[in-house]
Amino acid sequence: MRGAARLPSPGIGWLALPACAVAALLFALPLLLLLAVSLHGDGGWTLRGYARFLGAAYSWQVIGRTLALAFWTTLICLALGYPAAFALARTRGAVQSLLIAALLLPLSLSVIVKAFGWTVLLRGNGVVNRLLMASGLTDAPLRLLFTEAGLLIGITNIFLPFMILPIFTVVRQIDPRLGDAATTLGGGPWHNFVRVTLPLTLPGVVAGVTLVFSLSIAAYVIPNLLMGDRYQTLSTTIATAFLYLQDPQRGSVAGVVLLALSLAVVVGSAWLARRARATP
Amino acid sequence: MAHALSRRSLLGATAAGTALAGFPALLRAQGTPRDLVVGGAAGMAGYMKEFVFPVIEKQTGMRIIFDGTRSLVNLEKLRADRASPRMSVVLMDDPIMQIARDEGLLAPLTTGATPNLAKIRPDAVHFEGAWVNYQTPWAGIAYNKELLPKGVDSYQALWAAGQKGRVILPSLQNTEGLWTLIVAAHLETGKPFAEAQYEVDAAFRKLATLKPNVLTVYTNQPQAENLLESGEAALMAGQFSSYTLIRAAGGAPVGLAAPKEGIFAMPSGICKVKGAPNEAMADAFIDAFLGSTIQRILAEKSFILPTNTETSLPDGFTRPAGTPFAPDWAHVNRNREAWIQRWNQLMG
Repeated sequence: MRGAARLPSPGIGWLALPACAVAALLFALPLLLLLAVSLHGDGGWTLRGYARFLGAAYSWQVIGRTLALAFWTTLICLALGYPAAFALARTRGAVQSLLIAALLLPLSLSVIVKAFGWTVLLRGNGVVNRLLMASGLTDAPLRLLFTEAGLLIGITNIFLPFMILPIFTVVRQIDPRLGDAATTLGGGPWHNFVRVTLPLTLPGVVAGVTLVFSLSIAAYVIPNLLMGDRYQTLSTTIATAFLYLQDPQRGSVAGVVLLALSLAVVVGSAWLARRARATP
Repeated sequence: MAHALSRRSLLGATAAGTALAGFPALLRAQGTPRDLVVGGAAGMAGYMKEFVFPVIEKQTGMRIIFDGTRSLVNLEKLRADRASPRMSVVLMDDPIMQIARDEGLLAPLTTGATPNLAKIRPDAVHFEGAWVNYQTPWAGIAYNKELLPKGVDSYQALWAAGQKGRVILPSLQNTEGLWTLIVAAHLETGKPFAEAQYEVDAAFRKLATLKPNVLTVYTNQPQAENLLESGEAALMAGQFSSYTLIRAAGGAPVGLAAPKEGIFAMPSGICKVKGAPNEAMADAFIDAFLGSTIQRILAEKSFILPTNTETSLPDGFTRPAGTPFAPDWAHVNRNREAWIQRWNQLMG
């Protein structure tokens, strides 16, 4: 107990100064510049860039496609990652170490390498099609590469660890006796899951959803490699505006829209999760 | 004006920062009189450093420092370094050269300083020597030889019913993407390329009918080439000799067809940067590039057509039928932004 109740030194907050300075320099300042460029036209400050971008029906298609990609990726990752996190938390010893290593090792590979790997696996004569045909599920190779199904397979595989790890961290801290206690009080498996386990895992779910949604809404390399130039999202729109069209205002507007959407969904999901936990 | 200044300074700072952080050799070059900084496409670094630069270095005694990136990035560097350029010579595509010339970033070439300029085909010298095409890679259709052993005789092959989902197109963001647009206009209107290039509505009408056959639209050429070589795709539009034929010579199962409707001239230009350091060395480098020795090496190693009229072609060099067509780049530059947006909407 010695020292446990000691209050932090009044000057301890200064230790955060270097991190705050880095965050301000590398994140806040560029974001402010982005906002400034998006609001600055030939005649000075203006909202014309936003009117031009949001007034085009095609931009709304791009926004819809971006949100749909992030939504489905997050949903599939959650559906696969939630039970996987429980399985991981329930294993012990060498098996758990092996599973964690299998989950973490791919993170050491560049996303470009992984996405390019999927372009090989998803080909007509690739491993996925061979497995489908060998298992008798299909008679002929399916076209997977440059389809949204192929994109979802690849992007889910790449972002799945970011869903499993936060949920796993929370699940391993749940006392397994809580389930037993609920059962002794007459709760069935479904009731126990909905009223006991799920609320306790919500912080991990929110963290996982936030991570995967943020990564997938801003994904550039994966859609670019698995779908090509035909599949325009907000990220590819930003790249096209800056690199090819030489239109920084359009790129900045798309960047601000992307950031706003991402923040809205992330903050909204966290708020919903808090409400769900607070509801008896 | 304020907008232009803030945008330029931001992009300029980025380009300068990249150069400072990633290319310390560029900094060292400023203090060494025999060093010459040359900008160009990253993709050409391999054969330039292996076959071309050593010959020039031996001829002139200079040391060449190659800064390989995209043409548009080189343009941004030229803009950022306008007051004190680091690069003396840049190899870029014609549409980018046109922008650089219009912005006053280029120093004109003269026969006095670069005597080989007099031996270059007149159509390869632009705006009285603002820049020169030092080579002409020719562009047609790349195809997988195993899937199409008889080759390709017409651009109509891209639209053939049997090629559903087996055609790759370059994005209109890439220079070679323009050829598909012109071909589509030609097939839709029946007009020659020189007139069809202005029939953009017809081009997009015809392109809309190509969609079922399109496997993907690329901005990343090596990935697309990989798909063609592996047989995932059968045809790749807009491909050029200095890429496809190098791959074919290396054993890849690909060929480059020169369809009966005609072929295109990939615009490979060389220019001197205005106010650049080591001007005399820059002139010597450009003169060597325009000379028959280097042009013959380029023809042999990268399958391009030389622009120096006195260059003898290497043994076994296959000259494609027809004269490669060069479009109206000023027209392209004026309209490209709108075309790219229209293309994205059509192909999306």
